[in-house]
Amino acid sequence: MPKVHPRLIVAVCTVAFVALCAFHQTRAQRSAAIDTYAITNARIVTVSGPIIDRGTVVIRNGLIAAAGPNVSAPPDARVIDGSGLTVYPGLIDSYTNLALPEPAAAPSPGGGGGGGAFLLLQQQQRPAPGGPNSTQPAGLQPEVMVEDAIRPSGTEIESSRNIGITTALTAPRSGIWMGQSALINLSGETPQQMIVRSPVAMHVSFTPLRGSGYPGSLLGVFSTLRQMMLDAQRYRDSMQIYERNPRGIRRPDVDRSLAALVPVIEGRMPVVMIANTEREISRALDLAEEFKLKLIIAGGREADRVAGDLKKQNVPVLLSLNLPRRTTAAMPEADPEPMRVLRERVEAQQTAGKLAKAGVRFAFQSGSLANVSDLMLNASRVIENGLSSADAVRAFTIWPAEILGVANQLGSIEPGKIANLTITRGDLFDRNSRVAHVFIDGRPIDLRPPTDRPAGGRNVTGAWALNVKLGPDEKTGSLTLQQEGERVTGSIAGSLGAGEISNASMTGDEVRFTIPLQLEGQTKEATFTGTLSGNEIRGNVTVVGAAPGTFTATRSRPN
Amino acid sequence: MKILLTICLLCVPVFAQQIGNPTTQQGVIPPRGVFAIRNARIVTVSGADIENGTVVIRDGKIESVGTNVNVPAGAQTIDGRGLSVYPGMIDAGTNMGLVEVPQGANGTVDTSEVGEFNPNAKAITAVNPHSAHIGVTRVEGITNTLTAPTGGLISGQAALINLLGTAPKEMAVVPQFALVINYPRIGGGGGGFGGFQQPINLTETLANNERQVEQIRKMLRDAEAYGRAQDAYAKDKTLPRPDHNVVLEPLVPYVRGEQPVIFRADREAEIRGALKFAEEMKLKPIILGGNDAWKVASLLKEKNVPVILTGVFSLPSREDDYYDALYENPAKLQQAGVRFCISTGDAGAEVRNLAQYAGMAAAFGLSKADALKAVTLYPAQILNVGDRLGSIEPGKMANLVVTDGDLLEIRTRIRYLLIDGRLVVLSSRHTELNDAFKNRK
Amino acid sequence: MKKLLLLFVIALAGSVVQAQPASPVETLIRNATVLTVTRGTLPNTDVLIRNGKIAAIGKNLNASANARVIDATGKFVMPGIIDCHSHSMLDTINEGTLAVTSMVRTQDVINPTDVDLYRELAGGVTTLNLLHGSANPIGGLNTVVKIKYGRPASEFLFPGAMPGIKFALGENVKRSSTPNLPGVQRRYPNTRMGVEETIRDAFTRARDYKRTWDEYRAASAKDKNLIPPRRDLQLEPLVEILEGRRYVHAHCYIASEILMLINLADEFGFKVKTFQHVLEGYKVAKEIAAHGAGASIFADSWGYKIEAYDAIPYNAAIMTRAGVVVSMNSDSDERARRLNIEAAKAMHWGDLTEEQALKLITLNPAIQLGIQERVGSIEVGKDADLAIWNGHPFSVYSRVDTTFIDGTVFFDRQQDLAHRAALAKERATLEQADPNKPPAQGQSPRTPRQRPRTHEDDVIDEEEMP
Repeated sequence: MPKVHPRLIVAVCTVAFVALCAFHQTRAQRSAAIDTYAITNARIVTVSGPIIDRGTVVIRNGLIAAAGPNVSAPPDARVIDGSGLTVYPGLIDSYTNLALPEPAAAPSPGGGGGGGAFLLLQQQQRPAPGGPNSTQPAGLQPEVMVEDAIRPSGTEIESSRNIGITTALTAPRSGIWMGQSALINLSGETPQQMIVRSPVAMHVSFTPLRGSGYPGSLLGVFSTLRQMMLDAQRYRDSMQIYERNPRGIRRPDVDRSLAALVPVIEGRMPVVMIANTEREISRALDLAEEFKLKLIIAGGREADRVAGDLKKQNVPVLLSLNLPRRTTAAMPEADPEPMRVLRERVEAQQTAGKLAKAGVRFAFQSGSLANVSDLMLNASRVIENGLSSADAVRAFTIWPAEILGVANQLGSIEPGKIANLTITRGDLFDRNSRVAHVFIDGRPIDLRPPTDRPAGGRNVTGAWALNVKLGPDEKTGSLTLQQEGERVTGSIAGSLGAGEISNASMTGDEVRFTIPLQLEGQTKEATFTGTLSGNEIRGNVTVVGAAPGTFTATRSRPN
Repeated sequence: MKILLTICLLCVPVFAQQIGNPTTQQGVIPPRGVFAIRNARIVTVSGADIENGTVVIRDGKIESVGTNVNVPAGAQTIDGRGLSVYPGMIDAGTNMGLVEVPQGANGTVDTSEVGEFNPNAKAITAVNPHSAHIGVTRVEGITNTLTAPTGGLISGQAALINLLGTAPKEMAVVPQFALVINYPRIGGGGGGFGGFQQPINLTETLANNERQVEQIRKMLRDAEAYGRAQDAYAKDKTLPRPDHNVVLEPLVPYVRGEQPVIFRADREAEIRGALKFAEEMKLKPIILGGNDAWKVASLLKEKNVPVILTGVFSLPSREDDYYDALYENPAKLQQAGVRFCISTGDAGAEVRNLAQYAGMAAAFGLSKADALKAVTLYPAQILNVGDRLGSIEPGKMANLVVTDGDLLEIRTRIRYLLIDGRLVVLSSRHTELNDAFKNRK
Repeated sequence: MKKLLLLFVIALAGSVVQAQPASPVETLIRNATVLTVTRGTLPNTDVLIRNGKIAAIGKNLNASANARVIDATGKFVMPGIIDCHSHSMLDTINEGTLAVTSMVRTQDVINPTDVDLYRELAGGVTTLNLLHGSANPIGGLNTVVKIKYGRPASEFLFPGAMPGIKFALGENVKRSSTPNLPGVQRRYPNTRMGVEETIRDAFTRARDYKRTWDEYRAASAKDKNLIPPRRDLQLEPLVEILEGRRYVHAHCYIASEILMLINLADEFGFKVKTFQHVLEGYKVAKEIAAHGAGASIFADSWGYKIEAYDAIPYNAAIMTRAGVVVSMNSDSDERARRLNIEAAKAMHWGDLTEEQALKLITLNPAIQLGIQERVGSIEVGKDADLAIWNGHPFSVYSRVDTTFIDGTVFFDRQQDLAHRAALAKERATLEQADPNKPPAQGQSPRTPRQRPRTHEDDVIDEEEMP
């Protein structure tokens, strides 16, 4: 046994160790809440076996104890009459940001598209904390674990449960190496109680870093991903060599970021890459092949176009049900929409059916749907466009369980599995059906209509008409702002020029931001400082090398 | 040859690299004389081609054209055997002379005044007669440009110039030809950030555009009232004397429809908007740009509004547009009976390629004869100088190009150039640099 | 096959293209004027294409019974045009955050559905050198592609093309256009002196990197306990340059910076394969020729910035006569559509012969990309990348009828025209589809974000004037 520096062991093992502890803890606490239920006379879609037209499901100790036509309710069970009801395995949303701190803004209204958290990523996010002493800047910290940020509350969780989602993969919101996801049950008093499995996967998006740092473009994103994986290989090899015989070898620096990538490059931890278009998916496939990664595609809008490659490389897809739709009424002044966009909307509905036919594994995700209640509606559209409803059920249950490595715990109604059940009146995908009961970890969930979130404090989020007076010049533009806490992001368009705003903040009533301004044919930085009052901001503009000016902004579309 | 030699003696080769580098023509305008181009093929443009014809030039004008023309005694003759004589080409949509180097030398850019309303900004004031662009352009057979200011909503007044002279006044053919209005853009290609198309909110854009149009409307109405007040006072001095206003004063002939107003407009909605606005205000419009003009052809024909097409070599505006949408634009306007001409729309450096813009239109449906007209007679007519420029006819200004082939063909060489009846040396900053370095060992 | 076709139709982003017919094994182009580039202009000549290659050139050739036969009487056949400086089909062009970005690869960001590709095919262009932008002294790696529009990205890659890299000198990299703002860190370099230092530093590091690895490889044979050096994706391409395995394509303008790079390259023992733009190349033509570099230029663009003020359209002719291999490029999706016109300008300005001018857009760029054995002239055995023109390609009145790549039709004007009605019909159908039905009211439309389409080297390279 070679001597290994104890600090090294600690460093290398910390991640796994912490996860393990958390897991045990969760189990221990859960066993305290024992309860027994029986749903009788129900139609049971077991997913693992044939549909039982009339049978009973027994839940005990948080697990499915029995299910079948001849099962009878135990005497100690609370009995729910399931006449007219259908019992499904609890539905799994295979890509969300549930239970994580609020995003800066809602997805852009015209978007659609549905790339997991992709739309959210496009708004600048506060990067998840990578902890102290990371070797990498925010956005390049694979050691980030969503587990550390989970908070067991929030209206999104309720909204999801209301439509029958019992379990969700929740992943970090931003970054290139975004960090590691967790699979959570959408119920529990503590994060520990919610977590079913953590970490589940490493998450990657092809989104350049904001600001002036490298990588600042899509080009650099790929080089950075490659370089860090090469570095991780060397890190692993160096550590192995050093551990074998440290004497005479200069001690390699400890690096949590690279350590976190070791299971990824060894193919032990899957990598979820957000990719929607054919070329994005191809890029992900190429990168996975180059580094022998265990790839999962998230988003996958055009995945059917590369079905052959996905099948060949055995890469599953977390397919977004955030189907693009035309959100705008046509205006005579507007250009007709490109055929590409028109085709895209039609074809996005067909992707799931085509993947199923091609034998590509996939699971559904809500894809940051603005209104999660559209999820089942969109699933029914997908069924109308070529997917069998049996496969649609699988894509919400056993397939995500398999892809995410929890098929032993979730995804079907079988004795011993976690008692997550979604019980509907009417077929799940029938537009008139409704969710009657939801069980998570063997406990019934209160299904409440979603409450409107109270409007909190002063907020500059919205679309603003901007009017700037600089000397004799008067310019106008449209300003879009999103606020999260004191942080503000957004963009500007119009005769002022166009671009992203920067250095933006909202403190009390005071709004500050900087935009690139077109002045006399040159681009100059203009700093705006103003006071928010209702739907109006008034204040001053300073431009390097020019006399100061004033501005007003009027909110045309709040939030 | 003798003529060439004489003129070469006047040349002072200058290789200095300062901005606005003078050409050999600095301070030296060749004299008007009596010239006869003999035995040439004369492409009159307005009439039939004349084989083995003669053109006589005197006092800056074409005196006679034909096969039985007497060559006056003492005329300097040019042997035109094997050569062709064309009217000089006219580019009706440039910033010629207003920009020397757009990037990195702001001091040489005089296209765009501060503010949105500059009807009193006159391009002719700022034209740099010694711009290297002028020499480089004319030696390719372009004798005239419309030089227009840009920027703001009312950019200023465009000038029609000869590409020869040492002072703007000497160059001016029509010093204040038209008022230039930037019709508010719907999107795509409008201002800001080097052509990036940012996502725009059309509702806001339209509302904003309407406000801008309203601002233009108000200024034009003010000018109209101002003109009436000045007229009334001129007739009746007992009336209160209206103050002079340097901004409104220059607008008066335009709001009265006495002189044309050029609207920069490319997209269909912009062109329609400009036509509607011009009709409402009783202006005399010309469309400059016109990428979507083919979509609005019947309306343009109905209103008899001419178009200066600048986009023949632009990429189609939309991804679904056919690959040849803009190559074909001139042919489609021609078929619809719309008056048009072809321009590079360039600031200056690329104006010399005007012939290829016309040639490309001919590759895509326009007849060769119409392609030639589109850079000679048509622009002259649209610029209201059809009686002075654009064809070879007696009495017209002697702006002539003698070539060894088809004027629009790339390989064709210009052999002689006359502007305003003056024989111009075929040298430019580029020929001089070529001469300086071509034999470096 | 049917499935393939379906995939293809779906893959079309631009609506202006039509489904290609399955390419027959043989195509016979009959009775054309053939501009071979290397073997002169052949009147009334047939070209036989078999299995994607040029199988025969001559009079009255025979083809098999099921060959597709095209009567090209009165028409001209020329090799597919090669654009040695393009940014088409790149989702992004510059990684501008660092001065040395040799680790980035344009191949990672290619978009095979860019509609401008089709428009370039319609100008007789078949091959592109996709270059990184000019934001850094040492930029990213290039990609040489055939424009197989409608096919997956992987099929675009030109097999066997020499790997290359973009360098850039002068105004763009020294960023003289960027305002000096208080509190904003300026990126080094800011002068042409600093540009040299940046490149020198990079190659010095690359040389050390190579030594480190050589030493490790030698030592690790004996000692298994050695920790390997770090693999550095930034330095590896520079090592390839030093070893002659990667071509340098250097964006430059003025004479001094051209000489600087020649001297630096000589010092480090590598060759610059092409100077790109190289507007003042005519001033130092003999030095460029002596170094053995090529030049890839604009025909006549000038004056768009200070460092372009001394550009002259005689550049091609002067450098060609000095012995430099010169090509004419576009650096613009727009200009790429009419490179035939650009090449002809070298006959107008500077008296190049027709063959010399033709080479500017065919054989010479092929040489500059290391693909001259495959493309660039019409010769038996070469790839059947060619275009049929309705007139001489150097006439301004000519246009392309048909463009072939590897013997397959990728553009055909008649098919394009014939397909337009079907597209209109498809649009009408799509508009009626459920997801395309507009809501009664809603947000106003947003036009899609697009990258700039002309002068894409970078925004400051050239800007369209209003």
